[in-house]
Amino acid sequence: MITDVVLRSLKSRSQLIPVDKLLNDCAASRMPEVIAQALTEPIATRIADVCPTGAITTESRVGEAMTLRLDYGKCIGCGRCMDAGDGAVRLAGSFSRCGVSRKELIRTWKINSEAEESNAAFPAVAREAIYGLIGRALNIRQLDPGSCNGCEAEITALTNPYYDLERWGIHFVASPKHADMLLVTGPITSNMAAAARKTYEAVPWPKLVVAVGACGCSAGIFDPCNRASRPTETATIPRNEVIIGPVDSVLPVDGYIPGCPPTPPMLISGILAVLRRRTLER
Amino acid sequence: MAGATLRLSDRDEEVTGRLVSIFANRIGGRLVLHYLVDLPGPGYQDFEYVVSGPVRSMTPLTPAASWHEREVHEQYGVEFTGHPALDPLLRHSSPENGDLRSDRATGHVGVSHFLRVQGEGVCEVPVGPVHAGIIEPGHFRFSVVGDTVLHLQLQLFYTHKGTEKVFETLPANQAVSLAESVSGDNCLAHAVAYCQALEEIQRLEIPPKAAAIRLIGLEIERLVCHIGDFGALCGDVGFSVPAAYCARLKEDLLQASVKAMGTRCWRGIAVAGGVRQEITVAGAQELRQRIRTAAEDFFGIADQALNTPSLEDRFEGAGILAQKAATDLGVVGPVARACGIALDVRRDHPYGAYKQSNFDVPTWHYGDVMSRARIRVMEANSSLQMILDHLASLPEGSSRTPISSHASGSAFSTVESPRGELLYWLQLEDGRIQRCHVRSPSFRNWPALPFAVAGNIIADFPLINKSFNLSYSGCDR
Repeated sequence: MITDVVLRSLKSRSQLIPVDKLLNDCAASRMPEVIAQALTEPIATRIADVCPTGAITTESRVGEAMTLRLDYGKCIGCGRCMDAGDGAVRLAGSFSRCGVSRKELIRTWKINSEAEESNAAFPAVAREAIYGLIGRALNIRQLDPGSCNGCEAEITALTNPYYDLERWGIHFVASPKHADMLLVTGPITSNMAAAARKTYEAVPWPKLVVAVGACGCSAGIFDPCNRASRPTETATIPRNEVIIGPVDSVLPVDGYIPGCPPTPPMLISGILAVLRRRTLER
Repeated sequence: MAGATLRLSDRDEEVTGRLVSIFANRIGGRLVLHYLVDLPGPGYQDFEYVVSGPVRSMTPLTPAASWHEREVHEQYGVEFTGHPALDPLLRHSSPENGDLRSDRATGHVGVSHFLRVQGEGVCEVPVGPVHAGIIEPGHFRFSVVGDTVLHLQLQLFYTHKGTEKVFETLPANQAVSLAESVSGDNCLAHAVAYCQALEEIQRLEIPPKAAAIRLIGLEIERLVCHIGDFGALCGDVGFSVPAAYCARLKEDLLQASVKAMGTRCWRGIAVAGGVRQEITVAGAQELRQRIRTAAEDFFGIADQALNTPSLEDRFEGAGILAQKAATDLGVVGPVARACGIALDVRRDHPYGAYKQSNFDVPTWHYGDVMSRARIRVMEANSSLQMILDHLASLPEGSSRTPISSHASGSAFSTVESPRGELLYWLQLEDGRIQRCHVRSPSFRNWPALPFAVAGNIIADFPLINKSFNLSYSGCDR
């Protein structure tokens, strides 16, 4: 009976995860982290070769040390680089690149130099900024123009009693006309491109677009051309004709959340980071 | 055995069995049609037929063949004579695709037609492709009179990503990652089905420990899926307390998987030859405890919810799928079992550790939303028992057998995913994929949905749709 169900629910303890435990948490996202000191040219070549989405690539110029490039926007967390990396790649313990620009998802290292070439450190979102967000309202319309439903499952989890997105005044709305932000998964298929454009047009200004997941950031494993620069790839790879590409091939994107799929803490960190960045810019 | 008569094109013999899939494959200069049928007794049979000219359509005898023939027609230009409507299935007319009506030369003949229901007071309600929630895209065209649905027509394949073609660009040993992204909430079922096909080509037995870990993962996936579905069904009738409760229990299970395996949805676990990760003894103990607690909580809440009169009132008699329609359309999984069709790949064609498992295949008889809800609770119970048994007695030894990266040959494999029978048919040439055909359970079950919806009020559609729990991406690929 209803009363039993309600009583049972009232008796169970709160599951809510505190804010500071969520930000930068990437447990179970299977995102890799490169240990620059352990990196050698054979390892770099090997991990680039086993990557099924071309997220890890190497570049060699005559007279220069080899460069390793890791694009988190393409990474699906399959773990093959960790298996093949001889300790030079491990599971990331924390991850601050959620809700950043597409360029900030890419990291590069010169091999044997131990230093990272790209901007390595990202400041964790400051506590003041977090509390500044509490009390404001944001309406999100989720848009799936071709995803596999993996990202949708994790986005749905944001409303469960562990993450409770509504504590920040953030709601999922049914109509794009009520929305401030589109949370878009990908890749965008050619069948869905027109509907994706119309949905974007229906959102009133000012509006934000966040690309979610490896497919949303780069079309991931569904774009064979992502693998074009692999060392062992000889045959020309045919284009996937039934997808248009990542979210930014159709819509202007304000921030990217990588992962396959991104975990709920990564989604929350990303949404809050985009919001904060855009607020500061204005 | 659910019966369907198949008259194969080149011979006049008829076989009676259940149609599993029809697909085409180009080998050298020849185009070969495969008819995969589940026969009572011998089991799965793969009938091959070399195409030379128009092929007699199987659809008038076996409606389950309709979408398959439309797909083959669109992909390979095969003419099926006698098919009632060979409209394109996978691609729609759009600014990107152009007007498919003008594209007769490439075999894209015509465009999807919507059946028009006419008469006084009949109107059409178009819904989608963008839906009002965190759901995948698809278009529904309802013909209604007042609140009552007379006819529902589906236009799907909005998430068509050319997945079968993308498989052909990947080395066989890496393509398991693509299989995981065919239907993102059943990723382990897809990964295991793909790996089993690959292992079958190499005649490889995986170690018992790997088989047990796969079974545990597959059953956790089923448990997560069924608990999530049950909660969503409660949510769809406005019963938000069990909906929130089930969302919590689902998250409990995902976090238990994180603790034991480092992954929420068991992505990156299955690999050709076994599994990438093991469970420690202590990890198995803890996983066992956490799953038991969550599942038992679920049975308690489900029992109370199902005995609540307001919920019974909405669930009972809503969205009845007649057993005859289900049989004709070859429906699989919990939807079939809720109409009294006792199909379960785990029991009928056991694979991996299911060969040594005992479990119930529950069925129910009314084919309504209530039956599909009850089936999910009963199946969750047998999943729980299997998980507890296997976690208590994990085999010793290795969890991965080395596998060749230069295999050639073809094979297929089926898995009972949370949504039903899932098929992978795979052909390799020196470790490169020549053809990979994926027939998801949702491809089979979607055409049955309109038969369950007709005669109901349109406001019950979300509930009926949820009780089928169909994957768009798995169907569209």
